Amino acid sequence: MLVSEKRSLFRFLTIYLSSTFLLFFSATLILYHYQKHNILDTQRDTLKSKAYQISQELRKLHEQFNPPLIYPSHPLSAIYNSNRNYIFGSFNPSKPLWEKESYIKNDNLFYFFKLEPYYLGAKYVLVSQKIEHGEIIKLQKTLLFFLLIAGLFFSLLALVLGRLFTSPMKESMSRVNRFIEDTTHELNTPISTILTNIELIETLYDCKAKKEMKRIEIASKTLSRLYDDLTYLKLNHNYHRAVEPVDMGYLLKERLLYFQSMIETKSLALKESISEDVIIDIDRNDALRLIDNLLSNAIKYNQKNGKIIIILNQLNLYISDNGIGIKEEDLDQIHERFNRANKSEGGFGIGLDIVGQVVNEYGFEFTINSIYKEGTEVTITWQ
Amino acid sequence: MAIKFSLIITTTTIIAIANPTTVPSTALKNSCLNCHTKQKIPSELIYRRYLMRYSTDKKMQKRILAYLKKPAPSNSIMPKQFFLKFPMKKRLDINGSILERDIKGYLDYFNIKNKLKVSNNSLSPIPK
Repeated sequence: MLVSEKRSLFRFLTIYLSSTFLLFFSATLILYHYQKHNILDTQRDTLKSKAYQISQELRKLHEQFNPPLIYPSHPLSAIYNSNRNYIFGSFNPSKPLWEKESYIKNDNLFYFFKLEPYYLGAKYVLVSQKIEHGEIIKLQKTLLFFLLIAGLFFSLLALVLGRLFTSPMKESMSRVNRFIEDTTHELNTPISTILTNIELIETLYDCKAKKEMKRIEIASKTLSRLYDDLTYLKLNHNYHRAVEPVDMGYLLKERLLYFQSMIETKSLALKESISEDVIIDIDRNDALRLIDNLLSNAIKYNQKNGKIIIILNQLNLYISDNGIGIKEEDLDQIHERFNRANKSEGGFGIGLDIVGQVVNEYGFEFTINSIYKEGTEVTITWQ
Repeated sequence: MAIKFSLIITTTTIIAIANPTTVPSTALKNSCLNCHTKQKIPSELIYRRYLMRYSTDKKMQKRILAYLKKPAPSNSIMPKQFFLKFPMKKRLDINGSILERDIKGYLDYFNIKNKLKVSNNSLSPIPK
């Protein structure tokens, strides 16, 4: 699966699943409260009928003359006179909530029953019983199971829908990749032939059209790098890196020689400070692609008679130019593949994507500062 | 002899502390209960009628006092038809404060709280 496809699928799944979960969770919560309310209502009704039974017991006690008058002990109840003063009871609750007909306190359900007439002088009977949690727990389990099943169903549905939505994008990306693959394959042989023959001409023959030969060489090298970049991207998924200590200073100088003809053509002033013994554990090809792309950008997007500053030390690699720069709003997307801040120069927009991939692979830090029409500074910090 | 006497005194005190209202005061007996017993008027029934209608001691005391000061069907706890069959009680010639004391004694003597008991087989834990 391609990175962009993964990202799109992830975004879709996140939005779809979180909104579905939120909807279902809210609905379940409302249903839970409604059902719990019903369960408590049923328990309250039971308590009410028990309170009525107690009132009948009180009537009997009122009519019974011979003491002791045995007060009913179950459910727990207390009787109060019309001034709300406690008369008697099987319990004596502290601070009953008189303003409510029924209430819940400390996991107990309380209910006030009004008596008329006042048997035993009682106007109010307060009955209480412990809330039975059995049905509530059963309800919680059912709703949790329902949420789980719904979650599972919607996750599967989201996955199917997500794949369905991203399939056109996947097809397009595959087509582009296939095209690049075919192109690179077809480019390899002619580029190699051109470069070899230029070298042969320069070595064996005294060519009078030196200027034209230089141009051919530059164009061929540009093509060659493009080929290398595309091959690197194509193989990147299955590429087995041979990480070894690489002398970055030596490599950088070697690549500067390679780019010498391009630098000369643009009449760029090169200022370099390359420390010896900057040894980095890296795959040689990765290091090559990193340096090539940064140098190539500094040359390609520079102005004629511009400046390039290159500093390499144990901490970082710094390359700056005073070229066309990048607009502030384009800086965020500059690492993405096929994204070019400036369309005036050739290229596929894969340079900084490759740099980004190498940086991520080795845990380097990549910072890019740019002022539009003034220049760009790129720093790769090695740790 | 002295031991016997002190034993009787102790027993009486304990009974009185344990159930102070089971024995009516002499004043209550003389002012009310003796006559009620003689005329076979059930005092407890009347107390419970008051209790059932007025609920609190204060209200009961007020209504009984009003009736005893001015016996009339409108002040009585008994239904009006009752007085078609039975004569109205004569007004008592007792001092107001004594009357109040006796009514209080009457209410204390028959107080329902002292007669109620709860069985010990309580099934649920007692909530606060």
